[in-house]
Amino acid sequence: MARYGMVIDTRKCVGCYACRVSCQMQNELPVEESYIKFYEKETGVFPNVKNEIIPVQCQHCEDAPCVSVCPTKATYTTKEGIVLVDADKCIGCKYCMVACHYGARTQDHNTGVVEKCRFCAELVAEGKQPACVSTCISNARIFGDLDDPNSEVSKAIVKMNAQPLRPDLGKAKIYYVR
Amino acid sequence: MVWGTIIAAYLFLAGLSAGAFLTSSYAARRYPEAKTVRFVGRLISPILMGIGLLLLIVDAEAGLKDPLRFIYLFTNFSSVMTIGTYFISFFMMAAAYIALMELLKKDTSKIVEYVGIIFAVATAIYTGFLIGVIGAVPLWNTAILPILFVVSAFSTGIAGTMLVSAIMDKKVVHMVMSIKKIHLTLLVAEVLLIFTMFLITSSTNESAAQSVSMILSGEYSILFWLGLVVVGLIVPIAIEALELWNSKKLHHTPAGLEVAASGSHGIAATMITESAVLAGGFILRYLLLAAAVPVIFL
Ligand code: SF4
Ligand code: SF4
Repeated sequence: MARYGMVIDTRKCVGCYACRVSCQMQNELPVEESYIKFYEKETGVFPNVKNEIIPVQCQHCEDAPCVSVCPTKATYTTKEGIVLVDADKCIGCKYCMVACHYGARTQDHNTGVVEKCRFCAELVAEGKQPACVSTCISNARIFGDLDDPNSEVSKAIVKMNAQPLRPDLGKAKIYYVR
Repeated sequence: MVWGTIIAAYLFLAGLSAGAFLTSSYAARRYPEAKTVRFVGRLISPILMGIGLLLLIVDAEAGLKDPLRFIYLFTNFSSVMTIGTYFISFFMMAAAYIALMELLKKDTSKIVEYVGIIFAVATAIYTGFLIGVIGAVPLWNTAILPILFVVSAFSTGIAGTMLVSAIMDKKVVHMVMSIKKIHLTLLVAEVLLIFTMFLITSSTNESAAQSVSMILSGEYSILFWLGLVVVGLIVPIAIEALELWNSKKLHHTPAGLEVAASGSHGIAATMITESAVLAGGFILRYLLLAAAVPVIFL
C-alpha cells in the first residue's frame, strides 16, 4: 500500500502562484478561497539575507490532530495516508481548523463545510499527479510513495535532506527543502 | 478568530448552567428554607444550556443547513467534543427532569439529582478540555485551564442564581451566607489561577507569550484589566467581603437581625456583584478565544 507524500523545494519556488490557481480550478474554488497559502520568511543578518517563499497546505499529518478532534469522523485518513473530509458528515464546527498546526483548513461559506488540500485523491487514484505538482513551472514539487525507497519523492528526500516544516509538531507527509 | 464571540458565549452559558445546577443542589441540601434559590437554580440551568446549544448549532454552519448531521457528533470517541456531547446530553436530561419536577412541585428523584451533579461537573470540566487539548494554541494548552473553567463556571453559576433569586425575593440573599462565602473563595481562586496560568504559559512558549502580552498590555488590555480584573473580580471580591463582614455585625444585634430579615439591606450590592461576576465570566472566555495565537510553524 502506497503512502503518499510530497517534497517542496523552496529554493526552486518563484512564488508564481501557478500551483494555487491549478488547485483552485481542480477543486472548483472561488478566487478568494484556496488550499495553498504562501508565506515569506527572511533569514540571516544584513547583508547576508535569504528570502524564502514557502507554500503551505495540508501536511497530511500521520496521527493528524484534525482527525482525532473531529467529533463527526468527517475528517479521516485513507489507507494511502491521505487526510480527507467527508462533506456529507461535516457539521462545520471548525474544531479541526482550531486544531491544525499549519492553518491549512478553510471553511466554504456556501456549504459550511471545512475543506483543505486533498492531494487530489481522485487524480492520484487514476495514477496521475496532483494538480499543483503537474502545474509547477519550476518542478519545485515532487509527489509519490514515501514507502517506496525507489520512488522519485523518496530519493529526493534523501538526496536533498528534505525535512518536514516542524518535525516536533508531529510527523507530516510534506517535506521541504529550504 | 476561528472560534469567536458565539463560541465564547456558548462556553460561558454551559459553565453558567452547570454552576447554577450545582448551586441549586447545594442550596436544596444546606438551606431547605431558601426555596427561591433552589427553584431559580433548577429552572435557569436547563434553559441556559439550551440557549448555549442553540448558539453552537448556529455557529456550525454545515450542520445548520443539514441538521440530521448532528447525529454524527456522537461518533468519535477520541474527540473531546464528542465526549462533551454525551456529558451535555446526560446533564440536560437530568436538569430538565428536575426543573420539571420543581415546576410541578413534585419530589425529585435523588438518583437523578446525583447524576445531574456528576454531569454538571463533567460539563464544566469539558468546556475547559475542549480548548485545553489544542496543542496548536499554546495559551490554551495548559492543565490549569480546565481548573480555571470549573472555578469560573461555579462562580458564574452562583452569580446567575443569586441575581435572579434576589430579583424574586430580596430576603433570600441573607439566608444563604455560606454560598456567599463559597463565592468569595472561588473569586479569589480565579484571580490566582488566571495569573498563574499566564505566568507559566508565557515563560514556556513564544506563541503563548504573545497571547499573554496581547491580553496584559496589548489590544485586549483594557478589556482585561477593566472588564475582567476590576469589574469581574475585584469589585465583586470587595463587595462580597464587605457584605460578609457586615452580616456578621448585623447578626450580633437584634435590630441588625431585623434589618437582615427584612432584606432592606444589601440588595443593590448583590445585584451589582452578581452582574459583575457574570460579565467577568463572559469576558474571560472571550479573551481566551480572541487572544489565541497559534503555534508559529515557520
Ligand atoms: S496539516 Fe492540518 S489539516 Fe492537514 S492533516 Fe495536519 S492537522 Fe489535518
Ligand atoms: S468542521 Fe467538519 S471536519 Fe472539521 S472537525 Fe468539525 S465536523 Fe469535523
